Amino acid sequence: MSAPRPSRRGVLTGAAVAGAAGVGAGVAALAARPGHAAAAPGTVPFHGARQAGITTAQQDSLVFAALDVTTSRAGELADVLQRWSADAATMAAGTPVGGSGGLGGAADEPPQDTGEAHELPAANLTVTLGYGPSLFDERFGLADRRPAALEELPPLPGEQLDPTKVGGDLCLQACADDPQVAFHAVRNLVRTGRGVVRVRWMQLGFGRTSTTSAAQSTPRNLMGFKDGTANLKAEDTTDLDRHVWVGGQGAPAVDQEWMRGGTYLVARRIRMLVEAWDRASLGEQERVIGRAKASGAPLSGRAEFDALDLAKTGADGTPAIDVAAHVRLAAPETNGGVKLLRRGYSYTDGLDVATGQLDAGLFFIVFGNDPHRQFVPLQRKLGAQDALTEYLKHTGSGVFACPPGIGTGGAWGEGLFT
Amino acid sequence: MTPHPRLALALAAGPLLLLAACGGGADGAPADVAGGSGHVKITITDDGCSAEPATVPAGAATFDVVNEGATAVTEAELVNSGGRIVGERENLTPGLTGTFSLQLEAGDYTVQCPNAATESSAFTVSGAAPASTEDPLFAAATRGYQDYVKAQVADLVTATGAFAAAVEAGDVERAKALYGPARTPYERVEPVAESFGDLDPRIDARVADVADPATWTGFHRLEQALWVTGSTEGMAPVAQQLVADVAELNTLVQTTTYQPADLANGASALLDEVASSKVTGEEEAYSHVDLLDFGANVEGSREAFDLLTPALQVTDPDLVTTISARFDDVTTALAPFRQGEGYVLYTQLTQDQVRDLASAVDALAEPLSQVSGKVVGAANA
Repeated sequence: MSAPRPSRRGVLTGAAVAGAAGVGAGVAALAARPGHAAAAPGTVPFHGARQAGITTAQQDSLVFAALDVTTSRAGELADVLQRWSADAATMAAGTPVGGSGGLGGAADEPPQDTGEAHELPAANLTVTLGYGPSLFDERFGLADRRPAALEELPPLPGEQLDPTKVGGDLCLQACADDPQVAFHAVRNLVRTGRGVVRVRWMQLGFGRTSTTSAAQSTPRNLMGFKDGTANLKAEDTTDLDRHVWVGGQGAPAVDQEWMRGGTYLVARRIRMLVEAWDRASLGEQERVIGRAKASGAPLSGRAEFDALDLAKTGADGTPAIDVAAHVRLAAPETNGGVKLLRRGYSYTDGLDVATGQLDAGLFFIVFGNDPHRQFVPLQRKLGAQDALTEYLKHTGSGVFACPPGIGTGGAWGEGLFT
Repeated sequence: MTPHPRLALALAAGPLLLLAACGGGADGAPADVAGGSGHVKITITDDGCSAEPATVPAGAATFDVVNEGATAVTEAELVNSGGRIVGERENLTPGLTGTFSLQLEAGDYTVQCPNAATESSAFTVSGAAPASTEDPLFAAATRGYQDYVKAQVADLVTATGAFAAAVEAGDVERAKALYGPARTPYERVEPVAESFGDLDPRIDARVADVADPATWTGFHRLEQALWVTGSTEGMAPVAQQLVADVAELNTLVQTTTYQPADLANGASALLDEVASSKVTGEEEAYSHVDLLDFGANVEGSREAFDLLTPALQVTDPDLVTTISARFDDVTTALAPFRQGEGYVLYTQLTQDQVRDLASAVDALAEPLSQVSGKVVGAANA
């Protein structure tokens, strides 16, 4: 968090927002993203200069799928990507796969659409595609198309990865304000891809743990703390160009032209050791995070959006924000100015059957234009020094290149296969 | 799968001769038709679709289907007066073009585009009316399937007889060896057996399928005795009942006839069987010969599909190509597990191997599920 954030109240009463898109607030500002037509209420346009689902005001639910390509024929993969983009655009508009007749059709044929989103609103559905590093091996002739930034993540401290929740040739991030709508999207795309791709691992997320628009209130994660207060927001266009979009103003040089206007997604399934956390005293919890639990204010300030004052000390001379506090170690000021766009979700997968403990936590998703210079050093530091690490375990991981958006009539994969 | 008394298929179109170089993909160039009367253009819009020209002489024709921007409509079908689809192109999202080619018999047709404001428009083929009302391609398919079922059930009778004799003789090892060979022909035509009320449960129920374990009969009851108890004690009546049930099945299939949709649905049902109980190791819980059933289910499914292929090739050659390739993929996936006359035991598979097999089956089952609609036609759309 570098600049003080305007309070939500200020934004909602129409106060000027530095770096905002020049529109009032919130949804209107988002609809004005470059290349995006204004959408019907409750829908997010699928087509545009950027993929939806990145700076889109974060929806309430997530279904994330990492997939492997099972065919060796590049043409089949290109065909599935093309069909996916058509289907995703259709579903984002609130229309069934196959159009208005996708739910019906002949009695002797399976319906084209699986049907569970019938009569539900589009719920701001977005579907975001990413390519994993493994896609760029020898199978499809893409080896010379791999951007340097798209490398598998190195081993990182604080992780105990489950091999069944790592990697993937592709990812689909479906977000919506209704979990059934998000699941429906992934289910139908998986069905379309059957025979060409298959799901490698999947994660359902309920409840956003970030804010991606100044118009949104800050949610709480499963630790009970407000999360995403200092997150980059859709309105921070200068910072987004520099830190998030490939080829943006002030961003690293572009080595693969097809990625210009895209970004990289890092996903980390972060299990919270909730039993231990729940036994920690309030003072310990606040010291570890560096914020007050109730208000979300930094321990150096009084209100949620007060800037961190990392130099401030208490009466006894100790730092107000502990040297090992999460917010201090994650702050841009202590990371060479690195800022990231977080878009995480709370998750639970029930029980860890081995121990009987709850398997719950944060499915952390972060976007940036150079994961190996942004996320990796940050996690190296957090994994080693962050007081919070004692209560966390990274159990799943993936890194994906999200290509730029596509125009009407365009198709996913066009930068790679054409 | 429901058998039907033989009905003349309500088809008005006569033979649709298979043409070489059919199709042209969604992005392909229009196919050339040898000696064709030329091209018919079908333009898809949200309002409807119509053919230009709307009347052509009988003979070869190529249809170019163009979606110039319709979002609700992605396919066009040519339907004969009997309500059957004789040619179609699907999945044409805005901007895409596809073609299909066929030999047109004289008669009244409609061009259908599902979901358009006006779904149907007239199309006429002028010339002499065809004499035949039965599609010989489908007739050959259903007759071929009838022969296949009879042959499999004949094998079943023989193999079950040998298996049952070993059980009655108390020869556990020999009975174990003869169990798999008796299962194979049954699994190839299982959907047919399932169409006869309680015959399939009597022959093939697992213990979890029966309301009262005391009434449990059939293959799996004997399987449990051989592999779990290791004894045939008290099993002679069960073996005799199995022989009688298989004989009854044999009597029934002598006179059973099939509709094209029975072949398509049977092919799909066999793959659902594989996915739900074979690939999970549930079917052969004691002997673990699940892959034998798996292979037999796939063989039976492929036989039904292969018989339908000549007719399907006319209406949807792309679908035939896809399904054939995926049948090959399943066969390839299963091949490494072959051992002698059968397969390795299910318990020898790793989790990754099970997953690979399951996804190969799913990949095949998805396009195969579209076949039924192709052979039934648009009459009830």
